[in-house]
Amino acid sequence: MKWFEYVDQEHPGAISSRVRLVRNWDQYAFPSRLTQKEGLEMVRRLEQGLKDLGSFDGKQYEYAFLDELSELDRKALRERRIFNSTIASGKRPAGVILSQEEDTSIVLNGTDHIRIQLLSPGLNLEALWKQGDKLDDYVNQRFSYAFDKKYGYLTSFPTNMGTGMRASVVLHLPNLSMGKKFTGLVSEMGRFGASVKGVYGEGSENYGALFQVANQKTLGLTEKEIVDLVGRVANQLLNQERQVRAMALKKHRLECQDEAYKSYGVLKYARRLSARDAMTFLSQLMSGINDGLLETKEPCPVYRLMLGIQPANLQKLSDRPLGKEELDVARASYLRSELPDLV
Amino acid sequence: MLCERCKIREANIQYTEVINGVRTEHNFCAQCAKEMDFGPYSAIFDSDFPLGKLLSGLLGVGESQEHEKTHQVVCPTCGTSYEEFIKNSRFGCADCYGVFDILISDNIKQLQGNDTHKGKEPRYHIPRAGDHFSAEALSGEPGTGQTGEEDQVLSGERLRILEARLKEAIAKEEYEAAAGYRDQIRSLRKEQETG
Repeated sequence: MKWFEYVDQEHPGAISSRVRLVRNWDQYAFPSRLTQKEGLEMVRRLEQGLKDLGSFDGKQYEYAFLDELSELDRKALRERRIFNSTIASGKRPAGVILSQEEDTSIVLNGTDHIRIQLLSPGLNLEALWKQGDKLDDYVNQRFSYAFDKKYGYLTSFPTNMGTGMRASVVLHLPNLSMGKKFTGLVSEMGRFGASVKGVYGEGSENYGALFQVANQKTLGLTEKEIVDLVGRVANQLLNQERQVRAMALKKHRLECQDEAYKSYGVLKYARRLSARDAMTFLSQLMSGINDGLLETKEPCPVYRLMLGIQPANLQKLSDRPLGKEELDVARASYLRSELPDLV
Repeated sequence: MLCERCKIREANIQYTEVINGVRTEHNFCAQCAKEMDFGPYSAIFDSDFPLGKLLSGLLGVGESQEHEKTHQVVCPTCGTSYEEFIKNSRFGCADCYGVFDILISDNIKQLQGNDTHKGKEPRYHIPRAGDHFSAEALSGEPGTGQTGEEDQVLSGERLRILEARLKEAIAKEEYEAAAGYRDQIRSLRKEQETG
């Protein structure tokens, strides 16, 4: 099972957590300054040094060079958050080491030599940092890092220097984000050093109401402080979301329930669905399930469905390239077959 | 000498073009030069540009030839200049941090709100630890067509060296040498496109 197929029932609204560490091997210049040949050589040496990663944490890993992956595969991995846009579109020789569950990945020669990423469902930053810390030591035993007492881990971009760490949480905030105060709240979080961004677009364009909270700064804070900060901000936003939602349920329970059932109905029976409509209805369905307004026979992994309906992942299910109209048909058919029945 | 286009005003701009090794010289007045289509270089006739800048524009170096002291700081390890660092906000290698340290520490503080690392330090520092991981051990799997790739790397490298020499020549006002480098760059680029 992939990590995003699990449903964390303990923290409704907290979709996923992520810890990412960037490191550079002190024997090479940073990726933008390497020739194709040097880059290829370094990626091969890193892959060779890390070839027994599975014996370290018992997971099964796949090793791939970026140019062995099709463009569609790269895009799909980007949608599943293994690559960032730079790597997905990059022409540099790069490699990826990916666990079967896709919860642990190491990207080689992206914007930095080594990018360690851990993902999990729910609110789980502390555990992820512990895992990342150990994995980082494992890599460090084999490759010495570019490090400076003052500037910490040295990275290509000054925005990553220091800890090289980005801790982030994806939250579902459908009620809070509709309120007028939300923009103010977001900038308030900025003052505490946390950024809040729409996952699938900005402002009212962010269909699905998923928001990512992450640390803005990487220098001058310990990893523990970063984890605490992002966790605190995430909890704060979740609490506020719960309050707004509780009010809505108290005053308009029938409307909320109606909305959830209608969304389920459209998702379960529509013959074509745009990404925008599908995201909006999935978001409403997610709220309904979390509030116990409707119940499915098996647990409904709404986040997995949100990832599954993105263009490249949908395209991968088909054996030929699909046009926009065909994608909408494929999206509806995917949702019809994946949505569990109601109780 | 009169401008060869309007034949009225005094020519004060000499434009030398070398196409496939054939050198043609033109003499224009500033006004005619401004009206003519020099492609991407037209903009440089819009106002009175210093000669060095004009030539660098014609030679395809761009307008980034500012010779202020701080812009000359270049990382000896990877060749990243301070100017490039500012433009891309990207370090080229670990040594860049030391080279640009004094120039950037204020910016870093502004960006990060802090200028000193406080978190984890590497638990292992085994110098040359990865040395025994050779690239050959994994080669053979991907990356076929190696030679073509290497050729490209080589010509890319040569291009970089030539561009650096061109800039240097312009800075020293050695225009004849600069024109030579420019021609070499052009033919190399053409080779890359066709080859």
